[in-house]
Amino acid sequence: MTENIEEIKRRKQEWEKKVLKPALDRFFMKQSPNKYYSPADIEGFNYLKDVGLPGGYPFTAGTYPVVPYVPAQRGGLPKGSGLVRAAVYSGYGTAEDTRDYYKMLQQNGQRGGPNLAFDLPTQCGYDSDNPYVRGDVGKTGVAVDTLRDFEVIYEPFTGELELDKIASNFTINAPANMVLAMYFALAEKRGLALDKLRGTPQNDILKEYIARGTYIFPPRPAMRMVRDSIVFLTKYCASMNINQLGGYHIRGAGATREQDLAYSMANMVAYVEEGLKAGLDVDDFTQKFTVNAFGGSMEFFKEIAFQRAARRLWARTLKERFGAKKERSMLLRQAGLYANMGNENCTTQRPLNNLVRSTVGGIASALSGGMPLLYPPYDEPLGLGWSLEASQLAQDGFRILQYESKLTEVMDPLAGSYYVESLTSEIEDAARLELDKITEMGGAVACVENGYMQRAIAKSAYERQKRIESGEDLIVGVNCFVGEGELEVLPTRLVPHPYDPVKRENAEERQIKNLSKIKQSRDNTIVSRLLGELKTKAKDENENLFPHLIECAKAYVTLQEMCDVLREVFGEYQPIGLW
Amino acid sequence: MSDKNAIRVLIAKPGLDGHDRGAKIIALGLRDAGMEVIYTGLRQTPEKIVQAALQEDVDVVGLSCLSGAHKYLFKRVAELLREKDMGDVLVIGGGIIPDEDIPYLKEQGIDRIFKQGTMIKEIADYIRQKVDRPA
Repeated sequence: MTENIEEIKRRKQEWEKKVLKPALDRFFMKQSPNKYYSPADIEGFNYLKDVGLPGGYPFTAGTYPVVPYVPAQRGGLPKGSGLVRAAVYSGYGTAEDTRDYYKMLQQNGQRGGPNLAFDLPTQCGYDSDNPYVRGDVGKTGVAVDTLRDFEVIYEPFTGELELDKIASNFTINAPANMVLAMYFALAEKRGLALDKLRGTPQNDILKEYIARGTYIFPPRPAMRMVRDSIVFLTKYCASMNINQLGGYHIRGAGATREQDLAYSMANMVAYVEEGLKAGLDVDDFTQKFTVNAFGGSMEFFKEIAFQRAARRLWARTLKERFGAKKERSMLLRQAGLYANMGNENCTTQRPLNNLVRSTVGGIASALSGGMPLLYPPYDEPLGLGWSLEASQLAQDGFRILQYESKLTEVMDPLAGSYYVESLTSEIEDAARLELDKITEMGGAVACVENGYMQRAIAKSAYERQKRIESGEDLIVGVNCFVGEGELEVLPTRLVPHPYDPVKRENAEERQIKNLSKIKQSRDNTIVSRLLGELKTKAKDENENLFPHLIECAKAYVTLQEMCDVLREVFGEYQPIGLW
Repeated sequence: MSDKNAIRVLIAKPGLDGHDRGAKIIALGLRDAGMEVIYTGLRQTPEKIVQAALQEDVDVVGLSCLSGAHKYLFKRVAELLREKDMGDVLVIGGGIIPDEDIPYLKEQGIDRIFKQGTMIKEIADYIRQKVDRPA
């Protein structure tokens, strides 16, 4: 900075007195509704140290030197040549229903692999025929009980869309290793090498305890499962990502911006430590961690600064705390969406307003280093899945921001802004303080066990609700502008989602039949032997269970059978009380 | 300190849905509004919810579900309450409930579905108006 900071501070004080004050007096205001930033707010700012070039340490300016994505035809995902992308998050009812959905997408030109949404019984390690999970089978995603279901889902993926030519995503967490084992078993049956498989499992168990709720085992044995996957994937699956961190879930559960960043970082630190404890070098595996759309709120500049702060904090943590040497290990790798509006900020009231909100999110995403994606489609909060119209408008929004507004012409366009740089440091510092506090308390695992993070998030969620109820925080159409003079605009969803409601209703029944057939046709002697061996191996903390889980999967051992054995050995997580 | 006359509310998460932000803030809010609130935590079967309602002798059962399994789960809770002679317990619900499903849920005995964005004050007022308790 060439300016004289002292001079700027003096001039600002003078301006506040002589210019600002009379203006405020004229409007009977005590405090200005607008802040104004100057070089005095970023004293000591060092461009090379604090921002750097896109794709270079500390990655404030961007994870990569380019954003190669371009909008594609509807139903396809944005892609640049050479990029292998998975499809939109999807999964319906039974394996057959999901297979048919992907067939339809392929007929419409889709070339990506499946980005699988699983139903809750699968995510919680239960089979479809368990009476305990009745009502949930095939909802929120596809039911996967055994390898059979993967065989069916992947029927359309052969030839030029063979498993080793597409990328698959699995949002699966607690039973990630068992479900990956099924995927690997499928690949082996097709004669494909594991090191050629591409894909990303979401295996972020710590955020399940604090934000998303699909846990099975207590945190420590669950972290052993994460360790197994880090070690196994590093060794045998060189083309796969190891773990996708949950991203927006923690914010969605109610965390503040700073808590979100601190807890996400604390969780990632815990995963890094698992890999290190298992004897890996930090540069061997952290480059295979990814993040799914961090953050999420309507506060435009703060979300942009949050993204920049997150990249910088992660890079600095990897370098300074863990001594990473490769720059690639320090990357906070996110999918295309960066800053975003946050699903939880969608309103059911006048739902088309969500299109405006997601547009703001799309602009923030582009200005923070991602694609100008509009997410989610405006009918997200209405249930029943997104309509095709809402998806079309979301995709058009992306195209408009990309081609008409040319938002991606410049990388990190807000770099050097006194306000945004000051905000970036503020968010990074606040998150680091909280991260240090968690470290002092024993790290993320200890803070899940003692309920610190869960309670802090619930408290923040409640504080937010109180601000909404008091009118301190305003949500248009919800707690303000709701009088008789307003028009309650309702959208029409004329083009429904292709998943047939009748199929949705009877998916549970059909899936139970599928499972029953498998249980009758498989060799149950082998199943019992494998489960017995699983129990023995699980008792040995040093044993990596992955190879044996693949053997179980090949023998059509069900997900719940594997999980039940581990429940016996590991126990089950008991959630922390609310007060 | 518990007030003997306080309205007793069970906030429950039926099924496997793990989204409990709403359930938790309503539990906290109704408690601050002077009610006795019991929060079940995640993953409750309808049977467990009704058992808790019986044990805690509640006036109100509030159900939260965002997974799409509300039609079966809410109905089942209301059914079991009637079986246990607790048909007079006020059953209310919320979550992601499509408008199309609300008439069905009302027929099954769910008194009211509160949509996203509802203020806790409105829910508290509704409960007070519906639950007949000496002030």
